[in-house]
Amino acid sequence: MTESPALAIRDLRVSFGNGGNGGNGANGGDGGDIVRAVDGVTIDVRPGEIVAVVGESGSGKSVTSMSTLGLLPRTAEVSGSIQVGGVDVTTLDAGRLRAIRGAEVAMVFQEPMTALNPAFTVGWQVAEALRLHIEDMSKKQAYDRAAELLAMVGIRDARRRLDQFPHELSGGLRQRVMIAMAIACEPKVLIADEATTALDVTVQAEILDLLRDLRTRFGMAMLVITHNMGVVADIADRVVVMYQGKVVEQATVEDLFARPRADYTKKLLTSVPRLAPGQRRARTRAREQGEAPALALDNLVVEFRGKGGGTNRAVDEVSLTIGRGEVLGLVGESGSGKSTVGRTAIGLIKPASGAVRLLGEPLTGAKGRDLRRLRRRCSIVFQDPASSLDPRMTVGDCIAEPMVINKVGDRGDRDDRVAALLRSVKLDPAVRSRYPHELSGGQRQRIGIARAIALDPELIIADEPTSALDVSVQAAVLDLFLELQDRLGFACLFITHDLAVVGLVADRVAVMNSGRLVEEGPRDQVLFDPRQDYTRRLVAAAPVPDPAAQRERRAQRLSL
Amino acid sequence: MIRFLAKRFGQALVVIALVTVIVFLLLHSVPGGPARGILGPQATTEAIAAFNHEHGFDRSLPEQYWMYVSGLLRGDLGESYTLNQSVSSLIGQRIPKTLVLTGLSTLLALLIAIPLGVWQGRRRKGLADYAITTLVFIGYATPVFFLALILVIVFAEKIPILPVQAPQAETLAGLFADSRGLILPILAGAIASVAVFSRYMRSAVLDNLAEDYVRTARAKGASERRVVWLHIMRNSLTPIIAMLGYQLPVLFSGALITESVFNYPGMGLLFWNAAQTSDFPILLGSVLVIAVATVVGSLIADILQAFVDPRVRGAIT
Amino acid sequence: MTVSTPHVEAEHVPVAGPYRRMVKLFFANKLAVTGLIILALLLVFCFLGPLVHPTDQIHTQLADANLAPGTKGHPLGTDDVGRDVLGRLMIGGQTSLEIGIAAGLLATLIGTVWGAIAGYAGGWLDTVMMRVVDAGIAIPALFLLLVSATIFRPTVPVQIVIIGCVSWLVPARLVRAEALSLRSRDFVQAMKAMGGGHGRAVFRHIIPNAIGTVVVNATFQVADAILLIAYVSFLGLGVAPPATDWGAMLSKGISYTYDGYWWLIFPAGIAIVLVVSAFNCIGDGLRDSFEVRLQGR
Repeated sequence: MTESPALAIRDLRVSFGNGGNGGNGANGGDGGDIVRAVDGVTIDVRPGEIVAVVGESGSGKSVTSMSTLGLLPRTAEVSGSIQVGGVDVTTLDAGRLRAIRGAEVAMVFQEPMTALNPAFTVGWQVAEALRLHIEDMSKKQAYDRAAELLAMVGIRDARRRLDQFPHELSGGLRQRVMIAMAIACEPKVLIADEATTALDVTVQAEILDLLRDLRTRFGMAMLVITHNMGVVADIADRVVVMYQGKVVEQATVEDLFARPRADYTKKLLTSVPRLAPGQRRARTRAREQGEAPALALDNLVVEFRGKGGGTNRAVDEVSLTIGRGEVLGLVGESGSGKSTVGRTAIGLIKPASGAVRLLGEPLTGAKGRDLRRLRRRCSIVFQDPASSLDPRMTVGDCIAEPMVINKVGDRGDRDDRVAALLRSVKLDPAVRSRYPHELSGGQRQRIGIARAIALDPELIIADEPTSALDVSVQAAVLDLFLELQDRLGFACLFITHDLAVVGLVADRVAVMNSGRLVEEGPRDQVLFDPRQDYTRRLVAAAPVPDPAAQRERRAQRLSL
Repeated sequence: MIRFLAKRFGQALVVIALVTVIVFLLLHSVPGGPARGILGPQATTEAIAAFNHEHGFDRSLPEQYWMYVSGLLRGDLGESYTLNQSVSSLIGQRIPKTLVLTGLSTLLALLIAIPLGVWQGRRRKGLADYAITTLVFIGYATPVFFLALILVIVFAEKIPILPVQAPQAETLAGLFADSRGLILPILAGAIASVAVFSRYMRSAVLDNLAEDYVRTARAKGASERRVVWLHIMRNSLTPIIAMLGYQLPVLFSGALITESVFNYPGMGLLFWNAAQTSDFPILLGSVLVIAVATVVGSLIADILQAFVDPRVRGAIT
Repeated sequence: MTVSTPHVEAEHVPVAGPYRRMVKLFFANKLAVTGLIILALLLVFCFLGPLVHPTDQIHTQLADANLAPGTKGHPLGTDDVGRDVLGRLMIGGQTSLEIGIAAGLLATLIGTVWGAIAGYAGGWLDTVMMRVVDAGIAIPALFLLLVSATIFRPTVPVQIVIIGCVSWLVPARLVRAEALSLRSRDFVQAMKAMGGGHGRAVFRHIIPNAIGTVVVNATFQVADAILLIAYVSFLGLGVAPPATDWGAMLSKGISYTYDGYWWLIFPAGIAIVLVVSAFNCIGDGLRDSFEVRLQGR
């Protein structure tokens, strides 16, 4: 600890008052009360060090990172100090704060899709970052330097990219542009706020490599904000764990994972799903023999009308079967077509060719009563519980809807059934009269599950059901899902991008890449002894929450 | 790009075809039928029968529609029975004047409204925002004729510095020669539009302020002024272009009122006089011409937007 | 799974119901409340005013023509045929408000159903329905209204129907855009997967979720309808005498501009400005409260 820290946050407190003028307070609660988002946080980051701040939603980690650049909304009240190179940024006026932003402290944000200005070229935006701080730089010099920076962050053909607009680049490339912009003035501190969260695992691995490389090259101090323990294990030297605005633990990365001290850290670490063989408990239900499979896809092709009139093959000759009572995990990165397969399987999308058989009967071509009768026996759970429940309907009405549509029982029967369903997803039946937005994400997803099992389905399509949830909530929901599956014995197509989650729930695993089925087989074989290169790369790219193991995996991946 | 243009042109043609159907149906709902509508209320029954036979109005509706459309394609909008002139030549004389009036007042409105809206968006919920919002609401709620009247009372009666009547010249050059007379009509039209445009700009700026790229620009060290006038402006202007396309019918309606108050010899005045005398050929001819102008205007706005906005451009190439 | 986490979920859970919160936000908006108060006062003035200040608006008393305000029994003076201006303002306001509100609501109703069906259906049906809307929008409402006024005798119900039929196009466009995004939302997809039909999707899910747009737009529609009717009357093609409305009053008053008879112009003009701004303020307040409700989700 001889070197003085590049970034020193001392006893930072941030609260959002409601100001009393109604509206505008996305962070404010009801009735003018004060929300304390950050409560006495102290963090040091030395030059060349990577410190990860980890926590779940509402922990105050992002508010902390925003306050280092003075980017909080005006309603925020800040106390404590944030020193950058010996200057306290909380005391600076607007002009001097601007001189620091981008020059001394730079930031990379979560959403590469929206963080760049859509109306300007990439080159213009990188050049702007330079010209804002380097006064005597000509336009041409700035563009030349921008090209160098793009090359430095690993963008090939950088000259050509300068004239492109953000929407013409992929998510990974956009995030590289963001990073190029952030390092343009060689800042002393780089803050990455969930910078890899929106990216696929393989891209995430590349961006993490890039950040690590930049650290060694420029000796920057880095503050990495994340909720992902795998990312922490991969990149951090030291870790700060935050919970409800407070720091609950600070330790080196090895110590934290090996010897967590705070209860919250322990809970967090046990909640993280890990990729390990033979986790799935023994099945209590014997599989019935000789029955038609729950779902059979035969040479399924799905096409969408693409830009400029061409067709875009989202699903390309996929054949799959799921036996009765079996859970098939379908994994793949964004754009692999896995969600499209799920929606086609339940008849929400019409296939261009190929056949879907549900419970032994053809779904493709089924109409009217046949279709309705088939649909009664299956259901679907969506990723975002906030958008899969109608915000204008009460929880009770949401759960009762499948019964109403299929004319099951009378009002009294349905009321009883709703109460029973709420109890079976471990919620108080009293929540039936509430509206979805009054509940937390985890509670909403439980309601989504209750609705899905309302008619005792034989097949459930679960489309990323836990991806939008915090890890501890995810653990509880997965637990519930497994318990229900054991008890009710439905078959399930479990779609996810998270290999560890698949490892927990699936009997068999299928891997998709750009519309094609790459590999399919028993879970342990696909996850631990993959036959295909793509699967191998995918498995290697997923960071595991264990620094030592992750270091090994990284070496392995880079040699792949 | 060609695909987009072809599709957009196709749509515009369909819309124009639908407009001709509407106008045709209107003509047939005139009490006493098209003959009464075209010959005027004084025509005798015999004259009407003769007219109907001569012009094929005793044939089936689809046949009549076909005749109507083929007439339109030859530029034939019929004859005015009150002015004894062909409708197309009447409209041809008047429409440039209306375009000058609406064009100038829209331009003036944009010049005022865009900075005003942006400025308001930056200072949302401030005292100035409330004050301007109130003014804008009152401006929007004031009927154009009332506004025009107030302008006349203030600038022509109380402080007599401007003429009450618009220039009556036949030619465009004549109009501009008497440009002082144009000031009040332009001003009346502009004030009404300022209310709409600035409101639109304000909400566009507010929407954009919540975007992530604004945070990025701030994090780079861009000043608030730069963020608003460069980053946000560039993104808010494209919807303004589309809005102008949508706004055309409203602008034409406004012109109708302004022209009748200031006695400005444009399409609006022609239309109003025709409405007083139930001169249906002029009424329906004007409706058709204005509808076509609107369709063409929004087509141009769409294409322009596609050229200006890289995202739209990207989506259609 | 080795964890047995009791599901203590530390997430922020707001407690107020969705509508209560909205009402609260609406009443916190000063502009909206001002609008509501002005509207209430105007309604009382127009519909209950004649009970307090009864006047004869049918017969003319040429002897009392153009009396200045303050004359005994005529607080706002009399018009060119001796009718009391204050009383005339009340019955004229009844016409303006009745037509405006009814036509605005009619337009909203047609537009909502049309737009919701087009947006939900998508494909060729959407294309056909929206081209019809495009064609309707291309003809400026005022022009169409004047043509109709020369064809049909303008009575109050006729005016309501005609204005309703020329102004539903804008709400149709708005609701269609909303429906287009709602139909791909997961809760509509979930309902379809359960076997629900199109009717349920449109009327139970799409329209209730577009209600914010619909209600806000309805207030603007009423405001615009009141303006439109004023324009038509101003141009001399409004409701037939002896009935009147604010636009017609102003239109008559304009000939006396140079005689200094301001009371024939300003009361009616200001009444229009007041009622239209009131509706716009209410609409703006509603929009803010609906939007915040959606953000809070």
